[in-house]
Order: sequence, then structure tokens, then C-alpha cells
Amino acid sequence: MAAALRFVRKWYSIPLLLLAWEICVSTGAIESRLLPGLGAVWAALSGEIANGVLVQHAAVTVGRALAGFALAAVVGVPLAAAMSRMPLFGRMFEPMFFFGYPVPKIALFPVFTFIFGIGSLSKTAFAFIECLYPIVVTSYLGIKGIRSRLLWTAQNMGADEITILRRVMLPAALPSIFAGLRIALPLAVVVVVVTEMIGDNQGLGYYVTIWSTRFRFANVYAGIITIGICGFVLDQLLGLFRSAVVKWEKDQPRFTRV
Amino acid sequence: MNARLALEKLIVPIGLLLLWEATQRAGVLPTYLSSPSSIVAALVELTESGELPAAMALSLMRAYAGFFIGAGLGVVLGLIAGLSQGVREFIDPLVSFLYPIPKITFLLIFLLIFGLGTPSQIALVALAVFFPVFIPSRYAVQSVNQLYVWSGQNMGAPPMTVFFRVIVPAAAPVLFAGLRVGLAHSFVVLFASELIGGRSGLGFLIVDGEEAVRFDIMFVGIVGFALIGFASDRVLMALRRSALRGQAIGTEEQLV
Repeated sequence: MAAALRFVRKWYSIPLLLLAWEICVSTGAIESRLLPGLGAVWAALSGEIANGVLVQHAAVTVGRALAGFALAAVVGVPLAAAMSRMPLFGRMFEPMFFFGYPVPKIALFPVFTFIFGIGSLSKTAFAFIECLYPIVVTSYLGIKGIRSRLLWTAQNMGADEITILRRVMLPAALPSIFAGLRIALPLAVVVVVVTEMIGDNQGLGYYVTIWSTRFRFANVYAGIITIGICGFVLDQLLGLFRSAVVKWEKDQPRFTRV
Repeated sequence: MNARLALEKLIVPIGLLLLWEATQRAGVLPTYLSSPSSIVAALVELTESGELPAAMALSLMRAYAGFFIGAGLGVVLGLIAGLSQGVREFIDPLVSFLYPIPKITFLLIFLLIFGLGTPSQIALVALAVFFPVFIPSRYAVQSVNQLYVWSGQNMGAPPMTVFFRVIVPAAAPVLFAGLRVGLAHSFVVLFASELIGGRSGLGFLIVDGEEAVRFDIMFVGIVGFALIGFASDRVLMALRRSALRGQAIGTEEQLV
């Protein structure tokens, strides 16, 4: 009983919001074309999932986002390691990443479309460049922040450079590497959706845009909900992966996530 | 020694710019990539004609208006939610439900509600900024060391004093982290909205240059966007430094 009450207290606001939505729609307080009833949204969502349209667009979006994200992780983490272990290399690339970090990379959209075309390649390239910055910066600061005492101890015990890298530096830097990945992954989804909205003929961003221009808002909300679900599931999977790899440290609250 | 250090820091960007210029002049690069010298020429041209300053001012106004509304709501509601369990229990599920949805997808709905142009863009920026500011503010208040609060109360401070002199300063570093992320978000959302439904501003300048096959103008718009994004971040970081003297030691912001 107490548990049920706690559950209600924890989650009551979502059904309350949905109820307010439904009341607004059925009494006609808000123009119903912009705000379709919950039943219509549910019908659109379940219908489009059942006939595979939403699933197909979601697969395109998630595929692009993951490809760009994975590429950024594969390039970014070794780059950050090299930057922090080789001072000259670090000094050469540090300004590029620290000055470029607050620059809105999305402004390069037309250039990327010219170079990579309008399809998956330019979207993946965009996700890559957006993810690269947070991954490199957080990993770099994480690896730089490893206490020298740990490295000295390992060297003192006769470990070679590879062993130090694998057994000392990697575990010590993993939490900050994962912090960077966790910032980057939702960014990848957002960027892919944005670029799909600007110009494409597939993906969830396209789906939302095309149904908006046709004033079919039940489908628009179905698309938005699907994007939310994709982002949520990807983040949860990364969280599971993190807790499987970094067993010794609890995940921190995700307040620095973008 | 200092000159050498400066050279090491500048060699990559300068080298890239020189390579860009040289390959363009040699005719290796396609024309849509323009060249640094023609971009600078167009930059001077558009600055003298007043088009670039006007577009930058308009985009900045939209971004800041949206940012102040969204960030203001985010900080205030975040602080309230951090203090009051009732408010927390009401807002938390809604936030966790709405947070993973990219706010940019509401662009076309906002266009229909607020009309084409500035109001819908400001509203969209405000919505996008709210979440990354609200969540840190809420957690920041909750993670304030309870001992500080007790000490304040023990010394006879009234609740308002405890709030403004203990809780807000202790939460400020995390609060600024959220503001920084929110600021970055505001420019991304603004760019997309100016590109999709805009008739003015830097995003429109970029599209306009692209459609007129004036790629140098397109790049001027991109440079302008990079400049306002970068400068705004620096201003926020400067504010942060003066607000948090002595609190920023060993944090990421110290380096970036």
C-alpha cells in the first residue's frame, strides 16, 4: 500500500498532464488541429509502428547517429590520449578543440551538404564532428587529470608503456571517457534529426517535417514521441554498458548532459 | 620561448588556412569551398554595407531573448524544485518525459502557433534552453552540503538569508555549467529555425548566399555565427569567473 502510494506520488503529474491535454482538446479550448486528441496520437503511433513506416525512419536516424557517434569515439579517445601523452601534439591541437568547443558547428551545414551530398554521409559526418568535441575534451581532461602518483608507482614496478596504458591509464580515465560519450550520444541524435529536418527524404526528422507541412499533427506527435524513445533507449543502453565496464564507480547524476 | 609556444599553438590553424587558400588558387578545390581571402573580402564588403552587423544583431537578439527567458525559468524553477519536495515530485516526471525529445522538432508547431519569424524563434530557443538549465539547478540545490545549511541556521540566519547566502553560492558552479550548455543549445536551435523558416538573420544570410551562388557570403554567415557563439560563451565564462572567485579551482571550465 505504502509502495503504491509512493508510486502514485512519484508519477502522478504525467497522467495529470495528459488529462489536461485531453480536456483542452475535447472542450475545444485549444485549436484542435495543432493539438490532436490523445486517441488520434496513439492511433497514429501504433499504426505507423505496425505498418513499419516509423520503424524504418527510426532505423535510418539511429543508424546515422550511431555511425557518427562510434566514429567520433574511435577517433576521439585515441586522439585525446595522444594529446595528453605527447606535450607538443597536445599544444598543437588543444586550441583547435578548446576554441572550437563553443562554436556552433551546425553553421557548417551547407558546406557539409556540398561536400558529402544530402544523404546519410553528410548526416553521419555531422554527428561525427558534433560528437568529436565533447569526447575529445572530456577524455583529454580526464587523462590529464590522472594522478602522477599512479603512473610513477606503475613505472617503479617496472611496467612498460603498453601495460601502463592498458592497466593504469585506461581504467583511471574510463569514467571521464564515458562522461564525454554520455554528452555526445544525445547530441548525435539531435544533430541528425535537425539535419534531416532541413533537408532529406528519410529519417525521423524528415517524417516530422513532412507531416507538419501536411497539417497531420497526430503523425507529428507520433514522430516526436518516437525520437524521444530512441534517445531514451540509446542513453539507457550506454548507461548499462558503462556500468558493465566501470564496475568500481557509480554513475554521477547526468546534469552536465546536453 | 613564448614565441615558440605561440607558434606551436597557431601552426595547425594557420597551416590549414594556407592549405585552403593554396589549393583553391591551384584549382583543386571545388568553387563552393570559396577561399579565405575571398571570404575576408566579402566580410569587409558586408560589414561596410551594414548587412552583416544587422544580421548578427538580429540573430543575437533572438538567441539572447530566448536564452534569458528559458534560462530564467530554468534557474528559478530548478531552485524551487531543489528546495521543495512537492514541486520536485510534480516536475521531475514531466522533465524526464520531455527531456529526451529534441526541442527542434517543435519548430513547425511553433511556427503555426507564433507565426513566422522572431516570436516563434525566441519561443523555441527558450524551450530548448529550459531543460539543460533546469536539471543542473535542481540537482545543484539538492547536493548542497547540508552542514552548510545547518551552520547558517544555527547562527540564526533567516530562511531567505540561508537561501541567498548559502544555497545559491554553493549551487552556483553547477548552475553555470547548465547555463553554458543552454547557451550552446540556443545557437543550434536558432540556426536551424532561421534556416528552415527564417526570412532574416545570420541563418538566412547563409541560405541566401548559398542560393545566390555567392559562397563567400555563405561563409561570412558561417563565420558570423561562429563569432557570436564563441563570444557569448566567453562572456558567460567571464561572468562565471567574477561570480565564483575562488570556486573554480580544478574544474573543466578553468581550462576551456
